[in-house]
Amino acid sequence: MTIVSKKMQRIPSSPTAAMSDRARALKEKGQDVIRLSSGESDFDVEEFVEQAAIDAIKAHKTRPSAVAGSPDVRKAVQLKFKRDNGLDYDLDEIIVSNGGKQILYSALFATVDPGDEVIIPAPYWVSYPHMVTLADGEPVFVACDHNANFKLRPEQLEEAITPKTKWMILNTPSNPSGAVYTKAELEGIAEVLRRHPHVWVMCDDIYEHLIYDGAEHHCLAAVAPDLKDRIVTMNGMSKGFAMSGWRVGFAGAPKELVKAMVRLHSHSAMSMNVVSQEATAAGLNGDQSFLKRNAEDFRKRRDIVVAALDRCPGIHCHKPDGAFYVYPNIAGCIGKTAPSGKPIETDEDFVRELLDTEGVAVVHGGAFGLSPYFRVSYASALPELEEACRRIERFCTALK
Amino acid sequence: MVELADRLNRLSLSASAAISALARELREQGKDVISLSSGEPDFDTPDHIKQAAWEAIQRGETKYTNTDGTRALKEAVRDKFRRENGLDFQLNEITVGNGAKQVLYNAMMATLNDGDEVVVAAPHWISYTDMVVGAGGRPVIVPCSQNAGFKLRAEDLEAALTPRTRWVMLNSPSNPSGAAYTRDELKELCEVLRQHPKVLLASDDIYEHILYDGLEFATPAQFDDEIKARTLTVNGVSKAYAMTGWRIGYAAGPRDLIKGMLVMQGQVTAGASSVGQAAATAALNGPQEIVRERRDAFQERRDTVVKMLNECPGVICHKPQGAFYVYPNIAGTLGKKAPSGKTIETDEDFVAELLRAESVAAVHGAAYNLSPYFRISYAASMDELVEACGRIRRFCESLN
Repeated sequence: MTIVSKKMQRIPSSPTAAMSDRARALKEKGQDVIRLSSGESDFDVEEFVEQAAIDAIKAHKTRPSAVAGSPDVRKAVQLKFKRDNGLDYDLDEIIVSNGGKQILYSALFATVDPGDEVIIPAPYWVSYPHMVTLADGEPVFVACDHNANFKLRPEQLEEAITPKTKWMILNTPSNPSGAVYTKAELEGIAEVLRRHPHVWVMCDDIYEHLIYDGAEHHCLAAVAPDLKDRIVTMNGMSKGFAMSGWRVGFAGAPKELVKAMVRLHSHSAMSMNVVSQEATAAGLNGDQSFLKRNAEDFRKRRDIVVAALDRCPGIHCHKPDGAFYVYPNIAGCIGKTAPSGKPIETDEDFVRELLDTEGVAVVHGGAFGLSPYFRVSYASALPELEEACRRIERFCTALK
Repeated sequence: MVELADRLNRLSLSASAAISALARELREQGKDVISLSSGEPDFDTPDHIKQAAWEAIQRGETKYTNTDGTRALKEAVRDKFRRENGLDFQLNEITVGNGAKQVLYNAMMATLNDGDEVVVAAPHWISYTDMVVGAGGRPVIVPCSQNAGFKLRAEDLEAALTPRTRWVMLNSPSNPSGAAYTRDELKELCEVLRQHPKVLLASDDIYEHILYDGLEFATPAQFDDEIKARTLTVNGVSKAYAMTGWRIGYAAGPRDLIKGMLVMQGQVTAGASSVGQAAATAALNGPQEIVRERRDAFQERRDTVVKMLNECPGVICHKPQGAFYVYPNIAGTLGKKAPSGKTIETDEDFVAELLRAESVAAVHGAAYNLSPYFRISYAASMDELVEACGRIRRFCESLN
């Protein structure tokens, strides 16, 4: 007898976690492993944010808040949307949650009936299809390769929409490709959506502040205000504010959907940790200038990583405008043989052999729904990144 | 217009949240409202726990933790089970979530197939049935009246089991009745389950430390290995350490179940807040005297509240041995007229009229699936409780 439900059996264990486990095992054997597989900013949390949390604890602000979040934190989110994105949300159109993940999960679980379709441009964050599956929905993947800069084109969206489409997920800047949609591109998407009023849009803006070379982040709800009543604008504190462990996500969404999500949260996890809420309010209300400084730092790392990877034989690395990932193509390595004698037939073979021979942990493109690629997270110190790229180059050169 | 999923439409709105909202509204109108509707201790989180939290922030423990909890917290949970319950668990049999609620939610989502049955003794915490429904299961409610001490009897359990039964949920001490099962009573229930080897047992022990009259706490996993191998023992720091706002719950159980719950947790929210976990670790590892001191304070309040409520005409209040709730029967008030002129036909009418006439907020029994009763939380100051009971008496006397 297996204890887990049929629904759960459809959810594979996380490939990124599997890669981390393998890397950890090698490390424990004494191998010098560089991990570029994690999706976490390596910056420290700003001191003023930490201080606000400590002050809140000392002031006994440890009672649970309303399920949707305390009025203070929701006001801070309201202000953020207005200031950064030109979006107006009422307080009852705002919800905070245990990470951006919970926003996605709850919105989908609250709305998707068996057989409903959710359009997911690939490559995508690994959790999207799992959440759709848990809600009994059908993920519909649309491949967006490097020739399209990993972005969904309006005609592809048009073709993917059916009467059963409930949602499309739009992630800009994107994990894993780093792709950033321009305003014009979003307008193109909006134009299609106008023709299909039954389709809702989940905008995952979690990497908003990690954006380079003068590229600008645009929220679909601001670009197409007429669609705002079927858009969820999701964001959080994990990436730009480097507050991953605090577990803070938030969203602006139509009131009715927020109400439904609150209902689900009240039976699944309640409100989020109040100390994190205080830290979030302080973060969003405080000085935002560090965001640009950190982004500049990430941009330097990106430039170095892209240049180094593009030199590797068999690899073509595009230069993305955002997030802290690159997603190089390895078509030129497929069909070759690794130093171990094993053939490289898939990107999964590539990353496994890379880890075993050179001790560099990255994640294969198959995990993100688009092969043959791999994802490098450059949220690591520069010397580490440089060493890792040297090793990748050595590995690629050694392929026969 | 958002179209909600069928599963969401089957979820109830939280009745206690609705009462709290109405109470807040009356308070804003200037009424002196006493709210006895909330399920959280009125004490502060102890200082040494708060200190551990801000020290964790200062140490920078603010990044993603393992999805199912930090090693330090899991070790503290393992030690707690050994020290307080004589239970031995491996670390991979332990999981941590955003409150005990999420832990239970994960368990239901991870195990229930459509139509699977879950036996729940009423009156019960309303989220039990909503979680089951949300996961596609079917709650089987067994009413346990005041005459049975609000406890599930072996023969009632036997009668409720079918080939589709997946889980039995136990909650001792209980929300909302305060009923606490003796060791022998639990043993009898487990004897019934012995004939049904496929049935899993969830024991919600969150009120473990709020137990009176020298009664010794017991939990099913203690009985023998066969029962332990299919029991999920759920607990948390919210009630024992007045840490509701920190949102940390935990559970221990068979490894494959815990693994399924981990996958679920990874999809819904990922790990709990790192700071909350540091605080919970300090709570479990630190001095425990405060838990007993607070229990003694609760016991004194219970005695006062039970005595005063039994002086109200039409109300019969049992004397529970745990938690911080009483669940008085109001059969004697039904059919009478409230001061507003409205006839009290249900316990919902009773609490609505009580709130209107005397500004005391309590929750009606229907919200816990057993009528005609209402729930009072005595996690309030003695002065407030005495004043509230006086008002309830005046209200009952005014009924005719």
